[in-house]
Amino acid sequence: MSQSSLKNKSPFQPLDRAEVAGMMQSRFGIAPEAFESVSFYRRGRNVWAFSLPEIPDLGCESVGLRFMSVRGRVPKPTTTALQLFGRYATKNVVDLSSDRAEKFVAGEGQRLPAQVEDGYVVVTHRGDVIGCGQYLDGELISQIPKERRIGNDGACNGSSGGGCR
Amino acid sequence: MRSVCKAEAYGPELRACPSWNAFSSRAKGSKGWRPWLICPGGRLRIYSINANSRRMKGLERYRDVVADFDGMMEAIVRPLPVTARINTLKTDRDRLLFRLRVAKVPHRPFTWYPFGLKLDVEKPGNLIENLMGHIHVQEEISMASPIVLDPRPGERVLDLCAAPGSKTTQIAMMMENRGLLVANDPANTRVASLRSNCERAGAINVVVTRYDGRRFPAREFDRVLVDAPCTGQGMARKDIRVLDRWSLKRSLGLQRLQRALLKRATDLVKPGGTVVYSTCTFAPEENEAVVSWVLDQVPGVFLEDASIGGLEGSPGLLEWDGFRFGDEMERCVRYYPHQNDAGGFFVAKLIKE
Repeated sequence: MSQSSLKNKSPFQPLDRAEVAGMMQSRFGIAPEAFESVSFYRRGRNVWAFSLPEIPDLGCESVGLRFMSVRGRVPKPTTTALQLFGRYATKNVVDLSSDRAEKFVAGEGQRLPAQVEDGYVVVTHRGDVIGCGQYLDGELISQIPKERRIGNDGACNGSSGGGCR
Repeated sequence: MRSVCKAEAYGPELRACPSWNAFSSRAKGSKGWRPWLICPGGRLRIYSINANSRRMKGLERYRDVVADFDGMMEAIVRPLPVTARINTLKTDRDRLLFRLRVAKVPHRPFTWYPFGLKLDVEKPGNLIENLMGHIHVQEEISMASPIVLDPRPGERVLDLCAAPGSKTTQIAMMMENRGLLVANDPANTRVASLRSNCERAGAINVVVTRYDGRRFPAREFDRVLVDAPCTGQGMARKDIRVLDRWSLKRSLGLQRLQRALLKRATDLVKPGGTVVYSTCTFAPEENEAVVSWVLDQVPGVFLEDASIGGLEGSPGLLEWDGFRFGDEMERCVRYYPHQNDAGGFFVAKLIKE
């Protein structure tokens, strides 16, 4: 199999950490220190978080964690990024009851009064981050990726693609 | 999505290894599997197996080397307990155990590893803690090889046969998301599950590559894990049909690949570094024979004790089928299903001078 399906992909461009941390601070009140040991890169319309200041000299399929999408007008943090750093958020956090959390992880939207600004929010359950939501005109829209949802339709995200390995 | 097993990733002649996600997709979807695995009572899942059937003959060859062989055969027909690992990249142990208690999820921590849990649930993948990435559903015995590898924060570590990433994410967690962890797997289809698991685990120190492990480019690593493609006899409790697929020819075909992978790993590790070789099969052709060949081929590599306190295992075989591997093989560890009520596994720890 070819080693370099990546050759045609655009390279990872290093980003200024302060710039990305600044976005997370202004939206979620996350202190920049949370990202002290993280380097950010941009490839295409995604920002990636990685542990090292340099990309290893290898044909990399992916580097670290997809951190946010800069496709839209407003940058959208990924659910996995918020699961890692959302615990440091001090604003725009919505904590859900178990019933509401169940709806949220099934991908359902729900009307909900919350003291947050419209836009992307950190959604938690018993203080633990579930993922990214979008709050708009009193409605919370789940941003959990479809393949990760735990649905009422019997869809199951399985055993994380692998038990043993 | 069709799952591709580790062995298959290296070419059609090597289709033998039952990858775990191959099983889960089978268990979820196809006909002929569920009815056979799950009896109407639900929890009591016992396979009906004729001990004289052809599938058992692949195991009969181990009668003289396994202590309590009959006990092993009894264990193999019982389904595996559901187990998971606490992912400390996203939570801590006390917090997670508290969550499970509040949610009334029946669980019991392992005695030998603080981050392992037995879960008494049908679908652990449907737990919100799984979606959050606070737990990773992983077979108990497969948690052994990263522990033997013993990666440290800030090191450069290579997981040569990484997909679907359970051990990779365990290594990332042990490295506390620092340093560099290269997760390599040649198969495109398996890389998707590897990437997905790394993301869910919140691993930011992982780069995923897709080299043929035998020809991984020359770089230097502190530690290398070779969790090699194998015939997967130790996974029989997950899918008993792996035993049907076993043949000596398959073991010997995979042996060539395993030797080349392990040899490459010894090239890639720095002096003083550690290489861990593991498989989920009992076949000595794929275990001690591979390790002893590499020890002969590569000067300055020796074995260190691979045992883990609290986990019952047996020493590696010193000889098999008239061939002597050498006394140092007793530093390898074989895990049989009846010893820890888990899967079967083999682990060797090689140190480069």
